[in-house]
Amino acid sequence: MQRLTKPGPSQPDAARPAAAAAGGPGIEPDELIADLNRLYAEEVEAAVRYLHLSSAVRGMDRLLVEGKLKEGFQETIQHAEIIAQKLRALGAVPKLEINVECPPQAISGREALRFALTFEEAALEAYQDVLRRVEGDVVLEEFIRGQIAVESVHVAELKELIFE
Amino acid sequence: METWKEFDQNVVTHSAAHHLMAIDDLIQKLGYARVSDVARQLNITRGSVSISLQPLKKAGLVVQDENRHIRLSGDGQALVDAIKTKRVLMQRFFDEILGVGAEQAEIDACKLEHLLSNATAQRLLSFLRFFDSDQVAARRTLDAWRQFDPTCDHQTQRCPSCESGVCLAQNVSESH
Repeated sequence: MQRLTKPGPSQPDAARPAAAAAGGPGIEPDELIADLNRLYAEEVEAAVRYLHLSSAVRGMDRLLVEGKLKEGFQETIQHAEIIAQKLRALGAVPKLEINVECPPQAISGREALRFALTFEEAALEAYQDVLRRVEGDVVLEEFIRGQIAVESVHVAELKELIFE
Repeated sequence: METWKEFDQNVVTHSAAHHLMAIDDLIQKLGYARVSDVARQLNITRGSVSISLQPLKKAGLVVQDENRHIRLSGDGQALVDAIKTKRVLMQRFFDEILGVGAEQAEIDACKLEHLLSNATAQRLLSFLRFFDSDQVAARRTLDAWRQFDPTCDHQTQRCPSCESGVCLAQNVSESH
């Protein structure tokens, strides 16, 4: 298991991996692949949850949120594909480990959006964590920043919809 | 009695128990626990952890502060302590008394830890304390058990352990 460090501002060179100290990205390739695999899992799992939520909403609420949830499904699948492509570009084969349990319970539209907000926020945090770790790799940094921007919009939209 | 239905009526699910124990482990090890730490410890996604934490927060077992650090409430800590104690008791019973081996004992204890009632756990503790004591009877009992030959000829009519013609040994043999 990787050593965990407390979150915080950029670490000094001495505390960063050799690659970073040498001017490269602040993360070893195998660690980067592990991080991307985790992001891949976040996105695929989110897609599965979106798919389930779009089926679990009952009654009139379906008219209100089904489209939004289906859109979430499409986008998260797309994000997963982009990450898989990044992994292939690094010479790795994407590894997927997910464990999703969706109970057979009907939920309201608001509950579905709350659920979505929960895992979208989790995905946003996951990207923010990786951003800290890819300092120095311009391409990856830009990619992660782009994803953070997209996820932030999702989170803001969901919060707006849930607002009472 | 439809006991099997109680499996889902437990205070926490198996998964929830592991989330609570992971939080406890991380706080002991690092001094703090965040969703990302729990996710790595359990090798699941942050999304899963966040979703799983919701009912635990609602039940008042877990508290998350403004820095998104997670801690166990008093009730949560008590629950974790009870589960961990039950795991230790069962692990010791399976390994030291039944002699199934440390690895199998750990696996089985992990599967059962959150399901065992406090009443049974208390009796199990009492039972282990008996064997831990320096009583001659305890040592003799353990020695006699270890020397007991469990070979079974599957003759149910002569067997004091089997009922209604069903051979218990056959039903739990290695081949099943």
